[in-house]
Amino acid sequence: MFTSVTLALWQGFLVTIKLFALTLLFSLPLGLPIAIGAMSNNKIIKLPLQFLIWVIRGTPLMLQLLVIYYGPGIFFGINIWGTGENGRFIASLVAFVVNYACYFAEIYRGGIQSIPVGQFEAGKVLGMTSFQIMKDIVLLQVIKKIIPPISNEVITLVKDTSLARVIAVYEIIWSGQAFIKSNGIIWPLFYTGAFYLLFSFLLTVGFAKMEKKLSYFR
Amino acid sequence: MALLEVRNITKTYGSETVLNNISFDLEKFETLSILGSSGSGKTTLLRCLNYLEIPDDGEIILDNEVYFSKDKVSTYDEDTIRQKRLHFGMVFQQFNLFPQYTALENVQLALKLVKKEKDTQDKAIELLKKMGLENRMDHYPHQLSGGQQQRVAIARALALEPDILCFDEPTSALDPELTSEVLKVIKELANSKTTMIIVTHEINFAKEVSDKILFMDNAEQLDFGSVQEVLINPRNQRIEEFLNSNKSE
Repeated sequence: MFTSVTLALWQGFLVTIKLFALTLLFSLPLGLPIAIGAMSNNKIIKLPLQFLIWVIRGTPLMLQLLVIYYGPGIFFGINIWGTGENGRFIASLVAFVVNYACYFAEIYRGGIQSIPVGQFEAGKVLGMTSFQIMKDIVLLQVIKKIIPPISNEVITLVKDTSLARVIAVYEIIWSGQAFIKSNGIIWPLFYTGAFYLLFSFLLTVGFAKMEKKLSYFR
Repeated sequence: MALLEVRNITKTYGSETVLNNISFDLEKFETLSILGSSGSGKTTLLRCLNYLEIPDDGEIILDNEVYFSKDKVSTYDEDTIRQKRLHFGMVFQQFNLFPQYTALENVQLALKLVKKEKDTQDKAIELLKKMGLENRMDHYPHQLSGGQQQRVAIARALALEPDILCFDEPTSALDPELTSEVLKVIKELANSKTTMIIVTHEINFAKEVSDKILFMDNAEQLDFGSVQEVLINPRNQRIEEFLNSNKSE
């Protein structure tokens, strides 16, 4: 019994990891243009992005999942996601990417703005281009500053993936819950916690290593 | 002709005038000290020379070429300003070393990126030795004292061989004992044919090291001339009062 439960949960966990990894793959880079746009002096760029960040951070991710999945069908009469499992997965991926990109954007913005203006000026008086200042002076300092908040978000994401269940994405919680109906046992649901714990432990170790690697400067 | 001619530089922030009609000139290999109380506009003037601030009016001529003029500045693109900046070196009050690079790498960085030089190590080592830092080359900025950091910053600015090296209150962030080691290095530079402009509060040091003095107060230029004219036998009454009040403290 234990083996078959483990195997079933593993199937769900694969979906969880896939959602987690793809969300990071797209939202980490997407956060950067959002951050730069939100700091822009051009109001036509800045204001819509600040509005987007406000809406995304100000509403529950669960609600965003529902709106993104059902919204197109309800408001425009077209179900762009289709009805299959694949469509639901893509809809949830879009919701997660947009949500996390906005959170990452705020972290990037804070990181860039925390670099002392003297660093930019020192680069300027040495005749460096804006691009060189960003790439060779500011970037590594920003990365060092944002690793702790990014690691927080990433570990939150591991657990947030369970929200995809609300639009019937077969992730690990669902696979555990299924045993209540089919076999009348509840322990597989609790057992899913072990998967989350193990995974977030590995992430914590990974981030601690990165932090240590950048601890040679202040 | 002087190496540097600054004519009628004026700068305002909104309704506040921070520089009012400042003019001075500097010959090659001379040292100019800019003195005056805090908030008198000394640092802003230095920042104008480095294009960290854009004056609202006036003209700066460097080596008989227009370096800044009010009428032309709007036509300069980023690259032009970058090229112009290279005529001036800048040493900041807060050092502003790059924390992720060693002392040696701090000195090398702009040689690599801006001058595109391949062999930068020998030159950087030589400069750090000149600053008395031969045992600190592989240290990161946070492992160095303030005085050592400032000497790395001086080496970093010298590496690009600017025509004029500017110091913005180079010892104001340092303890008295660390101040002297930095002042010693600046004095050596003054004696070895470096053209320098130093914003400072150290009046005795300025007397010792300078050829010319620009004395400022409240955005105005009180006097500009030789050390003798401005400080030793002050011809300006307000400067005399300022010096006397400082002495009695």
